Amino acid sequence: MSAVALTGADFLREHLRARLTLVMLVTIPALFVVASASALSEFATALGGSVGGGSASALGAGWAAAFLSGALGFFQVASSRDADRRLALAGMGPTRVATARILASVLLGLLITIVAFLTLWLSTEIGRPAHAFAAILVFSLIYIGIGTLVGSLISEPLEGSLTVAFVFLIDVFSGPGMSDGGGLAQIMPTRKAADVLIAAGAGQGSPRGDWIAVGLTAAGALALAAIAFWLSARPRSG
Amino acid sequence: MSGDPTATPAPSASSPRTAATPATVLRAEGIEKSFHRGIPPWRREIEVLKGADLEVRRGELVGLVGENGSGKSTLMKIAVGLLERDAGAVEHSAKLGYCPQTPLLWEKLTVDEHFELFARAYRLDAAGADAATRRLFDELQFARYRGYRIEELSGGTRQKLNLALALMHEPDLLLLDEPYSGFDWETYLRFWEMSERRRDEGMGILIVSHFLSERERLDRVYELRDGRCREV
Repeated sequence: MSAVALTGADFLREHLRARLTLVMLVTIPALFVVASASALSEFATALGGSVGGGSASALGAGWAAAFLSGALGFFQVASSRDADRRLALAGMGPTRVATARILASVLLGLLITIVAFLTLWLSTEIGRPAHAFAAILVFSLIYIGIGTLVGSLISEPLEGSLTVAFVFLIDVFSGPGMSDGGGLAQIMPTRKAADVLIAAGAGQGSPRGDWIAVGLTAAGALALAAIAFWLSARPRSG
Repeated sequence: MSGDPTATPAPSASSPRTAATPATVLRAEGIEKSFHRGIPPWRREIEVLKGADLEVRRGELVGLVGENGSGKSTLMKIAVGLLERDAGAVEHSAKLGYCPQTPLLWEKLTVDEHFELFARAYRLDAAGADAATRRLFDELQFARYRGYRIEELSGGTRQKLNLALALMHEPDLLLLDEPYSGFDWETYLRFWEMSERRRDEGMGILIVSHFLSERERLDRVYELRDGRCREV
């Protein structure tokens, strides 16, 4: 295995050894999918949206993945910034450190997606499970990008996690199904992924244009995360 | 800074090259650094370094002393490449080891996993990494903690690992920022034995310290005062 893959595995292991991470990995999807689906539906009605039933549960799984990925993305940068920079200076280099971090993030995102999807699949009948899985993964990747970007700009845990939570709340309550779709909803990065997820929850497919938009957004989020990791690990030579 | 061993100092990125002898492993010239605090119009500038110069040669144990807040760690971080400088030039050997004041480690990884990570960074082969790890466990006497996570270690043992990671590839230049904080007396003495032995083998070592009392152990001492270094 290459040095980058082994280092990525170390970074992933570091996160999975945190007990709180494991507890959150199980409880957050359960909370969003099982416990909050009906509340999400009522909120949507109050805000001018119309999501309900399987779509509300599917959207809950997406938001659970987004929440967890945003938090873990933030802490991947904020908690290890100085140690990563030391490793880069020791000879690993910022590009290889950033690549290892991206690898760990994507694997973590995949794991989060699997748990969120399984929670959804076990609690609700989903018409298009493959579409739902892909859309949940995109929610996760988008929030890895948001979390790492915030982590590269704000190092304090409280301020940083509040910023990620703030973006998340705006995204949730202005997104498709939760509002009339105007205003902020038009510019939020999860908009198309939410459309795909709502459709999958209702047993419907999505147009090709939506899939292209979803793919491009996910790729953009990963590129953003890679830049954020690289900036955090790069040497400061003046 | 790569793991490529060379005795010739390499300028760090974007610094102008200055004349250096082959024996010089670190040269810093005219280093200036200010920090800015607050937001405009209440923003204030704190000038820490105002043209600091220092040099470390092969086979030399050099001290950098100064009061709290005099800028010792700032100068060290600039020399390593962890902090941007406002002005000046830095040249150093390509094979550099750095032991930061606060251990920069990953809380959930074990001691052994840290050695593996840094062996990859230094591009050591399996046999070289294993020999270096065993040698450092033996010198600093902390092999029994090799399976422990960092979060389970005492401050002193963390500091031993912090130092060992800087020494793993036997660099030409070793920069130590108060490396013995948390060490017990025996480990402190062992640290100086290790440093003196490596100095005798040709390593150039710069140690940040508060204590002029260590003067007799050092070949030269720079005092950092009012943003400038002077030899004392």
